[in-house]
Amino acid sequence: MPSLFRRKRLMVVLVGFILLVALIGYSIRDRDSLSTPEKFLQDSVGWMQTIFHKPVSLVDNTIENIQDMFEVYEQNQVLKARLSEYKGVIQDNQRLKSENSELRETLEKTEGLSDYSPIQATVIARSSDRWFEQMTINKGEEHGIEKDMAVMTSDGLVGKVKSAGAFHSTVQLLSGFDRSNKISSWVVREGQDEAFGLIEGYDDETGQLLLEGIKLEEELKPGDTVISSGLGGVFPSNLRIGTVEEVTNDQFGLTKTAYVEPFADLFDINHVMVVDRAVETVEDKSPSEGDE
Amino acid sequence: MSRYVIALICLFLLVMQGMAMSMLPANLVYSDLLITPHWVLIFLFIIAIFFDRDETYHAVWYGLAFGLLIDVVYTGVLGVYMVTYALVIYIIHGINKSLHANFIAASLLAIVGVALADTLLYVIYSFVQITSLSWGTYALLRLLPTLAANMIFFILLYPLVKERVHYWSEEINNA
Repeated sequence: MPSLFRRKRLMVVLVGFILLVALIGYSIRDRDSLSTPEKFLQDSVGWMQTIFHKPVSLVDNTIENIQDMFEVYEQNQVLKARLSEYKGVIQDNQRLKSENSELRETLEKTEGLSDYSPIQATVIARSSDRWFEQMTINKGEEHGIEKDMAVMTSDGLVGKVKSAGAFHSTVQLLSGFDRSNKISSWVVREGQDEAFGLIEGYDDETGQLLLEGIKLEEELKPGDTVISSGLGGVFPSNLRIGTVEEVTNDQFGLTKTAYVEPFADLFDINHVMVVDRAVETVEDKSPSEGDE
Repeated sequence: MSRYVIALICLFLLVMQGMAMSMLPANLVYSDLLITPHWVLIFLFIIAIFFDRDETYHAVWYGLAFGLLIDVVYTGVLGVYMVTYALVIYIIHGINKSLHANFIAASLLAIVGVALADTLLYVIYSFVQITSLSWGTYALLRLLPTLAANMIFFILLYPLVKERVHYWSEEINNA
């Protein structure tokens, strides 16, 4: 009897191990969409999270409001000083906009890479496992969200849609990006053309994004702004990403790598917009921006 | 009846695990120390110690089910939490047979269990190359803060549910 029992335990361990490897292998490969049971589970948990989210966020907001009240006076002073500045900027902006649309009309090119339609969403939970920088938002396929769409806050880009359920979707944050999630981007410089580079990863120690593949002859200064170029085929262009902090040569000395401080706070995120680019996305299996 | 209540509590803790990460103040949760809440696991330890008898394995089955649910909802890589949780709860259940169930023993088991589970997760994830953290940094930055945070949760949860779980166990045995 003991030998039979031991054999049974051995069998369970072996079968469990095979199951584990099979499941990991199945789920880790790049899937176009989730399987139906996964979507169902994700949505059911999502509904529960939405229900619990309401009262908790109410309390959270009240506390925040009270804290804000103490700073109102100082903020008001700063904002007043800035207001006049903005008036000029708005006028400039309107002039440029109309000029831009006129020029586009003369060129008969109405759609630009920077056109997008935002979908507003609320963050209802984050992945409890810190190996995965993911969060759940309360909009899904029913609201028009698809895999690989860009996700941003009012400050800048925060990530992309990893998978979409029917009513909820999972967002991969920039801090969880690796070599399989590239964003083609431009560095905007004063008085020069944009420099091209690819966001290829995230440095955990400094909390900065790695912008790689910049040509050696390009001169970058700390403080230059990084925006998405829209050339990767999925994200629209002109999404704000971050500022250049430090530039180094890469390990082979062939290109430069810039460390980019993201504009958006990747930890304290409450409301996001999911951005769908208006121009037709390149319908090709492999080279999407998310997984080149 | 009590089995459904246990499942409901697990589900509640699982939902709360994700909510806590987005709701707690960011400077607490997202400092350099990386904390992973294992609330479901901790509750299942209490089930394994006070609800299961020597020959019943309810907690292991709960571990399988809710581990899979965590995989689906929070990570997207299936099977990792499922196998880790089930295995660790099985081991804790095994050790518990030779211990007298009280607070000290239970908290020791919980520490060992959470440490074992988190390390197993790290080992599996480094095999499939989701993480490339070295052992030293892992132990210092992730394992120790995770252990401390989860022990606080255990100490809070224990007085709330221990008597209730024990009562359910008696109820099932007498029925």
